Amino acid sequence: MEVEGALPMDDKAKRMRDLLSSFYSPDQSIPGSPPHNTVSRFATLDTINTTSFDADQYMNLLVQKSSLEGLLQKHVEMAAEIKNLDTDLQMLVYENYNKFISATDTIKKMKNNIVGMETNMEQLLEKITSVQSRSDGVNTSLFEKREHIEKLHRTRNLLRKVQFIYDLPTRLQKCIKSEAYADAVKFYTGATPIFKAYGDSSFLDCKRASEEAVSVIIKNLQVENLKVKLFEKLKQFLVDLDLEYNELTNVPVNVDESINPKSASTTTHEASVHEFAEAIRAYKAIFLHSEPQLCNLGQDLVKKHFEAIHQQIMKHVRSADLLAMLRIIWTDVLLMDEVLPEASLPDFALQHARVAIKDYTCSTFSRLLMNISDTLKKYQFTVKEEMEEEYPLRAALEASKKSVIQGSMDALMDFRLLLDENPELLLKLRDLTIDWVHEGFQDFFRKLDGYFLLLSGKKITAFQDVNLIEEMPGEKISAGLVLVLAQLTLYIEQTAIPRITEELASLSAGGGVRGLATDPAEICRIFRSSGESFLHLYIKMRTQKISVLLKKRFAAPNWVKHKEPREVHMFVDLLRQELDEIRSEVKQILPEGLTHKHRRNNSNGSTTSSRSNPLRDDRLLTRSNTQKARSQLLESHLAKLFKQKMEIFTKVEHTQESVVTTIVKLSLKSFQEFVRLQTFNRSGFQQIQLDIHFLRTTLKDITEDEAAVDFLLDEVIVSSAERCLDPNPLEPPVMDRLVQAKLAKTSEQGGDEKSK
Amino acid sequence: MQGGSTGIGYGLKYQARCISDVKADTDHTSFLTGTLSLKEENEVHLLRLSDGGTELICEGLFSHPNEIWDLASCPFDQRIFSTVFCSGETYGAAVWQIPELYGQLSSPQLESIASLDGHTSKLRCVLWWPTGRHDKLVSIDEHNLFLWSLDTSKKTAQVQSQESAGMRHYLTGGAWDPHDFQMVSLTCDSSVQLWDLRTMKKTDSIDRAHVRNVDYDMKKRYMLVTAEDDSGIHIWDLRKLKSPVADLPGHSHWTWTVKCNPTYEDLILSAGTDSAVNLWLASPSIHDHSVQDSSLTSQNRTEPLLNSYNDYEDSVYGLAWSSREPWIFASLSYDGRVVVESIKHHLTR
Repeated sequence: MEVEGALPMDDKAKRMRDLLSSFYSPDQSIPGSPPHNTVSRFATLDTINTTSFDADQYMNLLVQKSSLEGLLQKHVEMAAEIKNLDTDLQMLVYENYNKFISATDTIKKMKNNIVGMETNMEQLLEKITSVQSRSDGVNTSLFEKREHIEKLHRTRNLLRKVQFIYDLPTRLQKCIKSEAYADAVKFYTGATPIFKAYGDSSFLDCKRASEEAVSVIIKNLQVENLKVKLFEKLKQFLVDLDLEYNELTNVPVNVDESINPKSASTTTHEASVHEFAEAIRAYKAIFLHSEPQLCNLGQDLVKKHFEAIHQQIMKHVRSADLLAMLRIIWTDVLLMDEVLPEASLPDFALQHARVAIKDYTCSTFSRLLMNISDTLKKYQFTVKEEMEEEYPLRAALEASKKSVIQGSMDALMDFRLLLDENPELLLKLRDLTIDWVHEGFQDFFRKLDGYFLLLSGKKITAFQDVNLIEEMPGEKISAGLVLVLAQLTLYIEQTAIPRITEELASLSAGGGVRGLATDPAEICRIFRSSGESFLHLYIKMRTQKISVLLKKRFAAPNWVKHKEPREVHMFVDLLRQELDEIRSEVKQILPEGLTHKHRRNNSNGSTTSSRSNPLRDDRLLTRSNTQKARSQLLESHLAKLFKQKMEIFTKVEHTQESVVTTIVKLSLKSFQEFVRLQTFNRSGFQQIQLDIHFLRTTLKDITEDEAAVDFLLDEVIVSSAERCLDPNPLEPPVMDRLVQAKLAKTSEQGGDEKSK
Repeated sequence: MQGGSTGIGYGLKYQARCISDVKADTDHTSFLTGTLSLKEENEVHLLRLSDGGTELICEGLFSHPNEIWDLASCPFDQRIFSTVFCSGETYGAAVWQIPELYGQLSSPQLESIASLDGHTSKLRCVLWWPTGRHDKLVSIDEHNLFLWSLDTSKKTAQVQSQESAGMRHYLTGGAWDPHDFQMVSLTCDSSVQLWDLRTMKKTDSIDRAHVRNVDYDMKKRYMLVTAEDDSGIHIWDLRKLKSPVADLPGHSHWTWTVKCNPTYEDLILSAGTDSAVNLWLASPSIHDHSVQDSSLTSQNRTEPLLNSYNDYEDSVYGLAWSSREPWIFASLSYDGRVVVESIKHHLTR
C-alpha cells in the first residue's frame, strides 16, 4: 500500500480500517511490504512505510536525486502527509476511548441484573416440595384397588383352563375328523398333567372321553405309517431291480457267445419284474387314491431302463444288443401296463425309445467318421517314420477305402437288423428311424468332406466336430496324403455313394414316410468338386517343390559369366528324382490312363501337334547349322505364327499320366519363365540347351502329351536364345556325346546302388 | 469367355514386359510402354486411345538406351516417367522427360531428369506415390530400399535415406500405399514386408512364400492384394495379417501381376504366365469369410471370375488400368502386343 500526497476522500475510511487492523495485528502488515530484492533506488524510496526506515539515508537520496523544485514539492507533499497522519492518530485514540466507555456500561448493567435472582430461586424450591407430597398421597390411596384387580385376573385364568379340560374330548373328535393328528396329540399332551393330578376326582368323565379319542388317533396313525413304509419298500425294490438289470446288459457285451447266463439272468429279471408288478397291484388294491405316486414309480422304472441304454450306446453297442434291451423294456412295460393302465407307460416308453434310437444313429455315424480319420492319420504318422511297406500310399488308400465302405455297410446292417427284428416298440418308430438313417448318411458324408478339406489344409474355418480338430496334426500334410484324399473322394463319389444309396433304397422299400431323404446327386457333386481340388492341390504342392528347385538353379550361377558346359548340370538329377517320387506316388494311387500314348486331350486348342512336330524337326535342323544361329530366332517366331496356339494347361484327369504330364508341363513352363528373367552369355545358353536336350530324352518316357512337352522344351530353348547375348548353339554331336556320358554315369550309379 | 475379339491391339517391335497408365494426362487415355530387347535398340512408346475408343495411336516413339524391366509414369506430370533398365550385368534407373517438341523431330531423344545411381545390386522397380503430387520416389533393388527426393524443375534426385532389407531377403518388387505416403510394401522370397518410410524400418510382414506382385486397393484402406506363383491371389487386411480375408484361384500357371481398379471397389485384374488376363470380382460376401459350411459356400458364393481374356500368344506381364476411364485396361504380353479392353458390360451387373 503506497502512501501518496493527496488521497481521495472516500479512501480515508479505508485507510482508517487498515491502520486499525495494523494496530491490532501488527504481523499482518509485513507481507504487504515490498519484496526485498528490488533495485535499491525503489527500495529506499518505498521504505518510508516499513520498519527498516532510515531517515538520513532517505533524506540523502532525496537530496541527491531531486531538483530544488522537486524538493520543494516533496516538502509540501510531506507536510500534507504528516498532517493527515496526525488526524488519523487522533481519530484512533478517540475510537479506542469510545470502546472503553461502552465496555464499562455493559459491565454495570450485568451487575444490576444478578441482584434479583436469589429470591426467585427460593420460591421455586418451595413449590417443588409441595408437588412431591401430593403425589405421594395419590399413590397410597390407589394401592388397595390395584391388588384387588390382580386377584380377579388370576381367577379368570384358572377358570379358562378348567373350561379347556372340559372341552378337550369334543376338540379331539374334531381333530380326528379333519385328520389333524399332530394338533390332537399336542392338546392331549398339554392336558395330561391336569388329568394326572385331578383325573380321579373331579375330571373323571372328561378324562375317559379324551382317552377314548386318543386311542382312535393312535390307531389311525399306525395305518398311515404302514402305507408310507410299503411305498418305500416298493421304491427300494425298483432300485434293486435295476441293479440286476445292469448286470444283465453287461453280460452280452462281454461274452457274446454264452447264451445261458444271459437267458438265466433274463428269467430272473422277468421274475423280479413280475414280483414288482404284483406288489404294485396289491398296493393299489389296499390303498385307494395312490395312483399318481405309483405312476411316477412306473415312469422311473422306464427312465432307468433308458438311461442304461444310453450308457450302452455311448460304449458302442451292437444293434442286436440294443434290440435285446429294447425287447426287455417292452415286456416290462407291457407287464406294468396291465397292472397300472393309468400311467400310460407304453407312450412314455415310446418317447424315450425315440430319443434312444436317434442317439444310436448319431453315435454310429460319428464312430464311422472317427474310424476313417484314424485310418488316414495312421498313414500320416507312419509316413514320417519308416516306410516298411512297399507301397504305403496304396495301403493307406485301400485301408481308407475299406474303412469307408465297410464301415458304412456295417452301419447299414445294424440298422437293417434294427428294422427287421421289428419289436413292437420299434414298429411304431420304423419310419422315423429310416428317415434318421437317411439324414445320418447325408450328414456323415458332408462331415467327411469337411474333414478331408480340413486335413488338406484348404479350409481353416471352424469345424463342428471338436474332437477331430484337437487331433489335427499341426504340421503340414504330405503331398502323398493329398493324393490319397483325391482318389478316396473319387472312390466315394463313384462307388461308395451309389452303393449306399442302393442299400438305403432297399431299406426304405418297406415304406418311408418322406421317401428318400438323401440327395445322392448333391453329395456326389460336393465330393467331385473336392476331389478335383485335392488333385489340383497335389499338383500344386509338387510343382511348388520343383519351382523352388528351379529357382535355386537360376539364382546360383552368374549366367552372364557362365563357363563352357562340360556336362549336364546336376540339377537335372534332382528334377528327375523329384519326378520319380511323384511317379511312384501316382502309380500307387491313380489308375493308368485308358488310352495309349500320344493321345490328344479333349481340349480343342491343342490339335496342332501333328503340325508342330515337323516344325520342331525343322527347327532342330536349323539349329544344327551353327552358321544360321541368328536366323533361328526369326524361324522360331515364324513357326509360332503358323502354328496355332498350343494349349498347355488342359483339364487334369484322375490318371497317372494326366497328373504327371500336368506337373511336367507346369514345371517346364516355370523353367521358361525363370529363363526369361535371366541374361545369358553363350556358354550359359549352351548349358541350358544341353540340360533341355537331356530332359527331352528322359521326359519322353513318362509323359502323355508328348507334343505339348516338346513344345515347352523348345520354348525354353527359344527363350534362353532370346535372352542370350550371343546365341550360338552347341553342335548336336557334342550334345549327344555329353548326354550319353551323363546317361552312362547315371545308369552306372543305378547299377552301383542295385549291386549294393 | 471369348474376350479377345473386343480388344484393341497394338504391336511393339520387340518383346516387352511393362506398361503404365499415364495418370497425369487428363485429356486422353494414354499408356506408356517400353521394350525389352537385348540386342536391338529399345523403344518407349506413348500410346493414346483415340477419342472413339476404337484404335490405339502411337503418339510418340523414343529410343531408350537399355532394355526396360520396369516403367512407371509420374502421377502428376504426364511428360515424366521412370524406367529401370538392365542388360547383362549393368543396371540402373532413371527419371525421364518426354521432350516438348517431339512431334517435329524424327527420332527424338528422351531428356534425362535424374539418374537414380547408387544401387549396388540388381534394381527391381521404381515407385511413385500413386495418389498425387509427392516429391519422393522409392526405388527397390535386390537388397535395399532407397527413398529419393526428386526435384523435377531443378532436375535433381538425391538419396534421402536408404536401408538394407538384409542380405538374406531377395526383394522382388513393391507397392506404395495410396492412402498413406509413409507406407510401402515390399515383396521378397518368403514374405511381404511392410515398411515405414519415416523410420525406414520394417513394421510388419506377411509370411507368404513366392509372392510375385502386390497392389493396394485404391478405394479401401488397409486392403492389400497379393499375387503368388502357385496359389493364386490373396486379399489381406493390413490390420489382421494372420490369414487372408479372401482368396481367388488365380491362374493355371504363375499369377504374375494384380491390379486393383482405381474406381470400382473389389474389381481386380490379374495377369499370368498362362497367357491370360482374368477379371475378378471379390464380392463382399467373400470378404466376410465367416464360418461357412462347405456345402453353403459352394452354393452361396457367386463365381468371382467375371471374365478371362485368353487371346494372348504369350505370357502377360504388363497390366494397367486407365485412371481416366476406369473401365478400360491395357495388357501387354511378352511378344510385345498391347491389348486395350473395355469391361463396361461387366459393370452393369
